[in-house]
Amino acid sequence: MRTPLIGLEPQQWLARFGDELYRYALGRVAEAGMAEELVQDTFVSALEAQASFRGQASERTWLFVILKRKIIDHYRRQARSPFVPLTLTPEQLPEAEFFRPADGHWREEEYPAPWDGVGDEGRGDVLVEQAEFQHILKSCQERLSPQHLAVFVLRFVEELPAEAICQELGLSPSNYWVIVHRAKLQLRRCLEKNWFQSPPAS
Amino acid sequence: MSIPSPLFNCQQATLLLERRADAPLPAKTNAQLWAHLRLCPYCRRYAFQSSFLARQAKAAAEAVVPADLPLPVSLRARLQQLIDTHEAGLQQE
Ligand SMILES: [Zn+2]
Repeated sequence: MRTPLIGLEPQQWLARFGDELYRYALGRVAEAGMAEELVQDTFVSALEAQASFRGQASERTWLFVILKRKIIDHYRRQARSPFVPLTLTPEQLPEAEFFRPADGHWREEEYPAPWDGVGDEGRGDVLVEQAEFQHILKSCQERLSPQHLAVFVLRFVEELPAEAICQELGLSPSNYWVIVHRAKLQLRRCLEKNWFQSPPAS
Repeated sequence: MSIPSPLFNCQQATLLLERRADAPLPAKTNAQLWAHLRLCPYCRRYAFQSSFLARQAKAAAEAVVPADLPLPVSLRARLQQLIDTHEAGLQQE
């Protein structure tokens, strides 16, 4: 006879937490198939690791900790491509699309334009078509390179500390900041093109 | 490690804005960045927009998933099978 483990009821997991775990995963990876895989891996690990459950956290929290670990592992695999740019000339760096290599000034055609409703002088964020904006942000994200996407999602969606991300992805702090900067430059431009310059007719 | 001055360089200034969001900058660099932002409307805009993006990212990730979306049926069946097999295995031990 096995000793019942305190607090864990695997037969209830699907009914109680299945949908919620799946939606969480789906918000953090691009494809439904990948979200399914992450949820399945979470169940496999959770079933195996039942003995390590000590009841300090709720069953729900414990399952989410496992899923978050799976999400980090997913992005670690995605971001495995090495960081290259050291051998590039200044003109070949991604930053050169935005800034003049000679003096680091914004290129005229890349000047950030004002965004309607995004508080310039202490005003709060007033966005009319929130849902539409969120869809555009998500599709802009999906155009980032795997490594940039990994850093962006782990930092701003999963809200991991920078230090943890450097450790997980094997990045030095300066490489990490370069990636955050490049990801933000690209997302900013993508949003400006697709949202702020041509808002959908209301 | 010395940090290049952001005083007259927008690329450096915007990089330091990202860096400052994670950790405090050395006092001198911070003062130079502040001076740059006073002088440069483009980097000032970038600063607002970049932190706006950071604030919106999580909400956007969660909002694109319908709040009542259930686990796909086929996955539910696979997971139930996993649980049954695992639990049956434990009973036999
Ligand atoms: Zn500037």
